[in-house]
Amino acid sequence: MTVLLAATAAGLFGIGTYLVLQRKLSRIIIGIALLSHGANVLMVGSGRRGRAPIVGSGDAESLADPLPQALALTSIVISFGVTALLLALAYRSWLLTSDDEVQDDLEDERIAHRGAPDDDLAGSDELAEIEGDPTGEEVEP
Amino acid sequence: MTALVTLPILLPLVGAALSILFGRSRRVQRTIALSTLTAVLGMAVALLVEVDRHGPVSVQAGGWPAPVGITLIADRFSAIMLVVASVMLLSVLVYAIGQPGAERNHVGFQSIYLVLAAGVAAAFLTGDLFNLFVSIEMMLTASYVLITLGGRLEQVRSGMTYIVISLLASVLFVAMLAFVYASTGTVNMADLAGKVGDLPPGLRSALAVLMLVVFGIKAAIFPLFFWLPDSYPTAPSPVTAIFAGLLTKVGVYAIIRTQTLLFPADSRPTTLLLVLAGATMLVGVLGAIAQGDVKRILSFQIVSHIGYMIMGLGLFTVGGLAAAVLYTVHHIVAKTGLFLSGGLIEHAGGSSRLTRLGGMVRTAPVLAVLFLVPALSLIGLPPFSGFVAKFALVDAASERSSYGVMAVALVVSLLTMYSLMKIWISVFWSPATEPAPAGAAGRDRAAEPLGGPLLMVAPTVVLAALTVAIGLAAGPLYDLSLRAAADLLEPSAYLEVVRG
Amino acid sequence: MIVLLLAHLVAGLGLVAVGGRAGRRAVLVGALAPAATLAWLALQAGRVLDGEVVSESLAWVPELGLDVDLRLDGFAALFVALVSGIGVLVFLYAGRYLRAGGEGQGRLLGLLVLFSGSMLGLVLADDLVVLFGFWELTSLTSFLLIGNDHTSARARTAALQALLVTGAGGLAMLGGFVLIGQATGGGTYRLSEVLASPPGGTPVTVGLVLVLVGAFTKSAQYPFHSWLPGAMVAPTPVSAYLHSATMVKAGVYLIGRFAPAFTGVWVWRPLVVGVGLVTMLCAGLRALRQHDLKLILAYGTISQLGFMVVMFGLGTAETVVDACELVLAHALFKAALFMVVGIVDRQAGSRDIRLLRRPGPGWGPTLAVLLVSAGSMAGFPLLFGFVAKEDAFAGLEPGSFAYAGLVLAPIVAASMLTVAYSLRLVWGVLGRDGDGLDTTAARTAAPPATSPSTTAPAGSGPAPAPRASFLAPAAVLAGLTLLFGAVPALIDGVISAAGESLTAAAEPVHLAVWHGWNLPLLLSALVLGGGAVLFMARRAVDRVLALGHHLPSGGQGYLAVLRTLNVVADRTTAVVQTGSLPVYAGVILTTAALLTTGALVLGDGWPGWPTLVGSAGHVAVCVALLVTAGAAAAVRRRFSAALLLGATGYAMAGLFVVQGGADLALTQVAIETLTTVLFVLVLRRLPDRFERRSGPAVRFVRLVAALSVAVMVFTVALTAGGNRVAEPVSSEMVERSLPDAGGRNVVNVILVDFRGLDTMSEITVLAAAAIGSVALARAGRRPRSSGAPERVPPPAPEGRRLERLVVIDVAVRLVFSAVIVGSIYLLFVGHNQPGGGFVGGIVAGAAVALRYVAGGIDDVRNLSRAHAWTVLGAGLLLAALTVLAPVVLGAAPLESTVLETDLPLLGHLKVTTALPFDVGVYLVVLGLLLMVFESFGDDPHLVTTPVDADEVEGPAESRPEAPVEVRAS
Repeated sequence: MTVLLAATAAGLFGIGTYLVLQRKLSRIIIGIALLSHGANVLMVGSGRRGRAPIVGSGDAESLADPLPQALALTSIVISFGVTALLLALAYRSWLLTSDDEVQDDLEDERIAHRGAPDDDLAGSDELAEIEGDPTGEEVEP
Repeated sequence: MTALVTLPILLPLVGAALSILFGRSRRVQRTIALSTLTAVLGMAVALLVEVDRHGPVSVQAGGWPAPVGITLIADRFSAIMLVVASVMLLSVLVYAIGQPGAERNHVGFQSIYLVLAAGVAAAFLTGDLFNLFVSIEMMLTASYVLITLGGRLEQVRSGMTYIVISLLASVLFVAMLAFVYASTGTVNMADLAGKVGDLPPGLRSALAVLMLVVFGIKAAIFPLFFWLPDSYPTAPSPVTAIFAGLLTKVGVYAIIRTQTLLFPADSRPTTLLLVLAGATMLVGVLGAIAQGDVKRILSFQIVSHIGYMIMGLGLFTVGGLAAAVLYTVHHIVAKTGLFLSGGLIEHAGGSSRLTRLGGMVRTAPVLAVLFLVPALSLIGLPPFSGFVAKFALVDAASERSSYGVMAVALVVSLLTMYSLMKIWISVFWSPATEPAPAGAAGRDRAAEPLGGPLLMVAPTVVLAALTVAIGLAAGPLYDLSLRAAADLLEPSAYLEVVRG
Repeated sequence: MIVLLLAHLVAGLGLVAVGGRAGRRAVLVGALAPAATLAWLALQAGRVLDGEVVSESLAWVPELGLDVDLRLDGFAALFVALVSGIGVLVFLYAGRYLRAGGEGQGRLLGLLVLFSGSMLGLVLADDLVVLFGFWELTSLTSFLLIGNDHTSARARTAALQALLVTGAGGLAMLGGFVLIGQATGGGTYRLSEVLASPPGGTPVTVGLVLVLVGAFTKSAQYPFHSWLPGAMVAPTPVSAYLHSATMVKAGVYLIGRFAPAFTGVWVWRPLVVGVGLVTMLCAGLRALRQHDLKLILAYGTISQLGFMVVMFGLGTAETVVDACELVLAHALFKAALFMVVGIVDRQAGSRDIRLLRRPGPGWGPTLAVLLVSAGSMAGFPLLFGFVAKEDAFAGLEPGSFAYAGLVLAPIVAASMLTVAYSLRLVWGVLGRDGDGLDTTAARTAAPPATSPSTTAPAGSGPAPAPRASFLAPAAVLAGLTLLFGAVPALIDGVISAAGESLTAAAEPVHLAVWHGWNLPLLLSALVLGGGAVLFMARRAVDRVLALGHHLPSGGQGYLAVLRTLNVVADRTTAVVQTGSLPVYAGVILTTAALLTTGALVLGDGWPGWPTLVGSAGHVAVCVALLVTAGAAAAVRRRFSAALLLGATGYAMAGLFVVQGGADLALTQVAIETLTTVLFVLVLRRLPDRFERRSGPAVRFVRLVAALSVAVMVFTVALTAGGNRVAEPVSSEMVERSLPDAGGRNVVNVILVDFRGLDTMSEITVLAAAAIGSVALARAGRRPRSSGAPERVPPPAPEGRRLERLVVIDVAVRLVFSAVIVGSIYLLFVGHNQPGGGFVGGIVAGAAVALRYVAGGIDDVRNLSRAHAWTVLGAGLLLAALTVLAPVVLGAAPLESTVLETDLPLLGHLKVTTALPFDVGVYLVVLGLLLMVFESFGDDPHLVTTPVDADEVEGPAESRPEAPVEVRAS
């Protein structure tokens, strides 16, 4: 792992994070793509670099470490699949709202503004009655 | 033995493939799914017995020795989780088949559900960190599909949150794997267990914390849980139920597994864990109190109860871990049961909003019982499963004289009771304050004396009975958990089996 | 004993299930279990009175010291007698009180039985945790009983309050139990053992306070009392049983058990005695202001409970015994009084002393019962209450323990109040009050807590007298009061046994009516006189007490707490759960970054700076990477962003090349191409530009988050990279790849052999994603089959099709076949050279893309339409079976064997069983791509409105192509 690779990965992560913190799903998708690029840079960078790991030609020492490559390949493919799904989601969102904006959760907003619907579960008025403490006025003068 | 460890993963995969091929006939698909999951359940039980008798069982995929090939391994903990998981998968599948509605009829449902099953099983059985990543991805992708199946607006909205957050977790996971491989040159857990010790302390605890965060997002611990209460309630109830039961628990499993197996005692984030546990319990239950919708209340409670499991881990004593294991089992059963009965409530009442439901103790007495039993169990009332689990936790905490988290645990169970009784009172006692949406409500009760279709009620009954059974049989179960916990804290057997 | 408990359980559940239909018979069924308990107790009586202990144990969770240990000693016996004896009477009473077959009555009776069982368990339990269990069960049954009339908002409120208050106390108590249990050596929760050798230390002190809190809440001591008056909304049998005779005594019971052992702890006496005294006085005063008979009794109960708490709490041998007498006396008269009030309520239709008229003829017996019981409550001579109170005074005589006088004085005062409200009660029932007061105010005032069916409307003439069977249970109790009052010696044994089982110091007692002229007698006289005076002057007293009305009550306290709780909950949730994805993502990523960096920095392990750059190539690609990535982030057009992202992807491929990953680069290129195509397919529907530029503050926050993440990655990456502690396992893979796995291309061998399982899961992910995206894209559409009309194409493409048929088609099909062949070649050679199933599949997919570009989605469909799913499924199945087959044959999953074959076109080939696996991969990838085109490939103009049109504002056809025009012009 050279400083350059670490820096590149860090850069990708930074930019990706910046994009992910936005509201347009297509931007978020791009951000995630950059993040996973960053992760793959780390992955590939975690092994020795060298010639393509195809044995039989030359010594094994000069070969690049194949395992991180395999792992990176798997993760690339997986993130591809999920990205496809996410794009489908953006498409569906467009079908429904003509935008790919990520809206806030309505229920959360409702609660944030109005609080739980039945705070009066405690039933203050009933309780006052039950307490059965008649008010002073009923006392005959 | 090899079969027992591998088939719980492979059978669902084959089943999924088949049911994709037989997409034309729902009947065939259901038969495939039911038979597969039944078989898996059988094997899981057999595996548990075997493992409990003769210690961990492991298989090297492709016959390649440990660090080269992928290790599949089952010890007591994973076997226990596998058994519970397969019970849930099976009963929820039956429930889903019984539930009227579009989603479960979708071509994809059965196959995706099987993929989910495979993913969960693989996550429990793998002994390889990268394979754990892939297994969790398998499970998650299935969950993405299930949660958005039907493509309603709120599903799309919450689906975005859910998928994006999970993807972030996955990215962090890959980064973490890269760090691990860069420093140790291996991703096999048993192999790592030996090598992580040689790393400088700073890096070690950094890795420990990063793993905690990565799995913590999936387990929905504070402050990483926000996605859960927003996304779960929008899915169809069977889906929500299985998510509630299993997905977060896979995260918990991964946390417990990695923190105990990979890291030596000195680099375990004990205090951090306990603090997070307390915060998770509190914030979760407060959220539950603030909600006005059955499914949302239940979802927030998931978060709060994850806190209990993390607490058990954070104690890092045999007692604490055993309590955590028992609690996890209990919570999976009780919570899934609650969500199933929640689905029935929605089915019978036409809504899941507290204000729109009411008086159901008269209109649907069976549901009242089916809700009350798991609810009481979750609160921790005897003789249900929750009581023993919770007491075990509190006992362990006090034994280690970590009184702070113990107090939180007690207070939170009171608040849990409050939030659940809120449901009970508004749904079953008091009359509805708003009219239910037209058409949705008012199913003819004569047709459904049980309060729902038989296939929906039956699994719910089974789970309710199960919580009682777990409570009554708590003695042997707790002993089993103790053994599992001992293995976790002293994984020599695990390591030997893998290293051969 | 366990059998008895089970009997209660069964009977209770049975009644809950079917009781509604059983009618009156249900009552008798309900009475069975308690009756059986009584019989059993009678059998044990001899042994118990001799001070023996009957115990029984059932292992539950031994490892936790959690066993169902049941233990019947004198004290427990006293309570068992109360619980079951009064239980039986209450059931008989309920038979008359409840209207047969009323809604929810089966439930009510069943719950009563369940409660009776829980209470029995509570007093028999010898394991603290089990005791807690039964404790909570009584709270729960009480909750369900109070709320049984669920249509009344008041009942629901009261039920919730009762549950929350007692439940909270219970949990506090559990905490206390755990603290105490852990303090005992070996952490036993055996009650008898704990009391035998009481532990000490700060945890124990705290634990005791917690336990006391539990006891106070249950026994409705100030300031936790207010749930008990609320509970009066429950039907009278419930009030008589739970809320006067038994459940509320649970706290007293616990204090009685603990007091002798722990009275030495400094916090014990001040707390217990203080709370008890305050409760006695305040509740007594409150009782003097009630107009609802049940509420008079309720506050009376609270006050009396305070009395018992004090007596038990003092914990001296004498007071403990006296307290036992009080418990018995109170149970007898208070239950009877409740029953009488219930009768009045039923017959006269009201419980408001301002409405009640003089009872008519035939009420004699009822009034007799009333007078006896009330007299006992007031401590009138020759009634059992008198005996008990006398002994209590004797036990408190100055000098019998430190500051005895300080305790005695308030108790005497409170006893006067007792006399006063007893008189108030009697007067009310006799209807004397009703005449005296102007009743209009009361008539308009709130109706009594429950509104039972009135056999006679209030105030219209004398109410009909109750039937004998209705009165009988109360009469029995009153009879006992008389009997024990006259000949207290009868129960010497019971009381002595109870006392001795609590503390060894207690000597056998000899109860008597006449102890000679002594202080207690004097005090009794004083009390009776004072009480009478208080009652005479009730108008004046009431005026004084009216002032106290404005003091905050416990109920308001409860409300305040609940309100705050809800507010806090809402606030926290509003803060934490904003519902906004960016916030969530930001918090999560920042948390990850800060925690990890923090952990890294706290511990050491910085390896020093490694080599700066690998090669010149690296510099080039990395710069390209960062530049394109930055550009992708900066541009405000979706298309440009997508294209720049593609560029980044190719730069990645370049990086892989310089790093030495041929397959990786190949895959990356293929995937990037596809992703870009997908992006374009989707983006053509979305508005062209990103609107809504966010403010500087937001951007700053984003920047900070981004930086923290970048720093984390950078530092951890360098630290991890610089601390390689072991030779990577891959070196062994390189060695074994060719000889053992028969492949030169190590990466491919790893993918399909060494780590084939990963690939298996990976293609499963792809399959799932494919299904998911099709489902989403097709969701809410009319199914293809029925959607024939929508395939009517617009004219322009029509022309295009015609001319395409002539020229391009041939070429396309040629190229297509060529590419397919190429992809298959890649698939086969993959094991030894760059390639493999995955790349092959993608190339095949590219061919499909070609068909799409040339012929649109129809062309692809003709190619695949029905088959997309099949291809996908088949691929998955093939791969899965390849993994599965060896397992079936008893080998490890995916275990492969090398076999050599001669294939046409490919020549001699050394194939392993990993090949079918790779073919599976190929098929899955191809299937994925087909399905993706299926879902996104539609011509945008043919997008039909979703079926659930209400979710869509406006028809889908008018989807914004607008920006495009704007750009064009």
